[in-house]
Amino acid sequence: MINRSFFGIAPPKLTYETISDEPPKPVSVFPKEKVTLFINEPLEKAAKLLIQTGTRVSAGQKLQLTTDSKTYVVSPVSGSIDAVTPFTGVMEKQMTSVVIRVEKDEGDPEVDGAFEAAAKTPGLETARDFLSGLPGAPDFSALARSDDPVKTILIMGADNDLMTITNQFVVRTEGGAIKDGVDALRRITGGRNVNMIMAVPSNLVQAAGAAGVAVKGVSNLFPHANPEMIALGFVGPEALGHKDSVAFFTAEAVARIGQAFKKGKVPFEKLITFVGKDGSKKIVSAPVGTPVKDILEKVGATVKDGDRIIFGGPMTGVSIYSIDHPVEPDTDAIIIQDKSQIIPSEDLACINCGQCVRVCPTHVPVNVLIRYLDAGEYEQAAEQAELDACIECGYCTYVCESRIPIFQHIRLAKHALKRMKAAEENNA
Amino acid sequence: MPNRMKLTVSHAPFWHTGSSTSVKYYHIIAVAMISVIFGFLQYGIPAIAVIALSVGSAMIWEAGFNYLAKRPNTIHDGNAALIGLILAMLLPAVTPWWVVITGTFVAIVIGKQIYGGLGANPFNPVVVAYAILILSWPVYLNYNAALVDYVFSFNPVYPMAAVKFQGAAAAENFSIIGMLMGQQVGGIGTGFGLGLIIGGAYLIARGFIRWEITVSFLAGIFATAFLFNLSNPELYAGPGFHLFTGMSLIGAIFLATEDSSSPVNFIPMLIYGALGGVLTVLIRNLGVHVDGVIFAILIISLVNPIVDKIRPKAKRRVMNYA
Repeated sequence: MINRSFFGIAPPKLTYETISDEPPKPVSVFPKEKVTLFINEPLEKAAKLLIQTGTRVSAGQKLQLTTDSKTYVVSPVSGSIDAVTPFTGVMEKQMTSVVIRVEKDEGDPEVDGAFEAAAKTPGLETARDFLSGLPGAPDFSALARSDDPVKTILIMGADNDLMTITNQFVVRTEGGAIKDGVDALRRITGGRNVNMIMAVPSNLVQAAGAAGVAVKGVSNLFPHANPEMIALGFVGPEALGHKDSVAFFTAEAVARIGQAFKKGKVPFEKLITFVGKDGSKKIVSAPVGTPVKDILEKVGATVKDGDRIIFGGPMTGVSIYSIDHPVEPDTDAIIIQDKSQIIPSEDLACINCGQCVRVCPTHVPVNVLIRYLDAGEYEQAAEQAELDACIECGYCTYVCESRIPIFQHIRLAKHALKRMKAAEENNA
Repeated sequence: MPNRMKLTVSHAPFWHTGSSTSVKYYHIIAVAMISVIFGFLQYGIPAIAVIALSVGSAMIWEAGFNYLAKRPNTIHDGNAALIGLILAMLLPAVTPWWVVITGTFVAIVIGKQIYGGLGANPFNPVVVAYAILILSWPVYLNYNAALVDYVFSFNPVYPMAAVKFQGAAAAENFSIIGMLMGQQVGGIGTGFGLGLIIGGAYLIARGFIRWEITVSFLAGIFATAFLFNLSNPELYAGPGFHLFTGMSLIGAIFLATEDSSSPVNFIPMLIYGALGGVLTVLIRNLGVHVDGVIFAILIISLVNPIVDKIRPKAKRRVMNYA
């Protein structure tokens, strides 16, 4: 996608998508044959598994690998388990993929009643036990921490990447559910004094007013809606003295939390901004676990060899390698790029043109950083070139004249440092 | 069932501005052509011979070094051609062929490739090459001596040399308008001020060079020359003269702005450029060399890594959400 203007005296500006006054109606997609869910836990062959090929599951049932597991997924469909296999995600994340064969009783699928009973006593335990796989991927772990309690909950009504309108859509159309969700979050956090702020695009400040929390407008200039930029801007660096004192929830996650407690059912429908090759946008609603191919078929998009399917936005998303890949709880957008739109990275050295330095929102000296990273000097990069100040927005790589995959270098370096640190702690 | 479709998989971001290094170099070459065409009109076929030899030999040195060093061949990126072209623009139209070839050897091999190629050179290769040439064979690069056989319709003396040896009064023989229109002796591509300014404005507007460096370089020349002129108008020529003759314009637009040897942060760019301008006039007025641009740029490239440490403090990442 070429976005450079003819004049180049100022760095290129990118703006977020803003939702129109009449949001599109969601296209509903139901998985045809199989759903795939990822449990965030490595599959250990020796362990005695609770779920095996052939096990029957009903919609809303919690699936855990072993009785000791802390992680789980909630099945969006009724059916039988087809396969349980190891899966390696981004940055070597070891997960387990569970494939469930859908049994077609669309009328009224058998629903597991465990959550309905638990929802009568709303609280952090219930939320952690049933809701962490909700569409929008709410992370309750920060709220559970007692040593350094969360002071601020930031509700992200603005989408953190370009082209995406999923959270804006929720803010615009599901004000009631967000309000329910905010109330539920208040109960979850108990009587603690937690400050809740909802960040929305400036044009939605009015629409978001009914949620019952402080609403603040976010500039539509990239990367101002990046969660860390919002936290820096609204909470301020002084409030960030404590690590993790801010918890982030997307507007979609908050709405689903509200829905879950109100109806006593775990909602599965994930809202996705679908962007076709021609840039046309649709809002798709599909259960978590639905393979991309079902969505492609429903919206009538064709994908050929060499095209790129992006989960997430164009700046920070992840490209997937199979059309069997399922919708995940945090898949806010699915973007299809034609082969001809792809500009590949190149194996060139940095020429020190400084474009990256001029666009970096946190003033990272990217030209210095990339020299350390290219040489594999990750510790030096962190000490001398502000590797840790990077908020991973991808802007530097977007403007790079040498087309260096800077963002990938940065992620790799952070990953390697994390592993080194973990190894040191293990040996200590 | 295995899925046979092969999707393109890569790391984010999935958009790019579409800019590239070679696009930039080809644009700079195109802009430099204005001055080259003027050089041809002024000095005839010998000018084209020098240009062609310089561009060609620079590309051959690049390809040869890449071959010997077992590096990927980079002559298609346009940088070697650009180095050859800019070097030729600094030379007199009748430079002997072996001087040109030596110059491009120094520029490509000693100025650029031995440091690791594109982006790794601490000095502008053209500036290194010209400095070595003028220190080694000053007679061939002396514009007055080299261009003695030409008949010009204007004052056939190199303005910088005239002022150096005859005092500020000599500057009165050159009008600023005349110098802008190229009515001065000099290198093939250094004389036509208007063409250089138009080209520079285009490069700045398109973002191919950084305006901070060009503007502060010229401002440095202007301010320093003005102060010298103020202190002793009989000895030192005025700022207008210094801006539009010698290598001032080509230095500010094509030489000082070379990416690898110049800073990237705002304040360092201003310091770098202004320092270059100041040093240029200091060398011209007080030094032994006729023109100071080349040595001034060498010195500012030397301080570039230190100056570029002046940068805004990074907004520290203090959160670490899961």
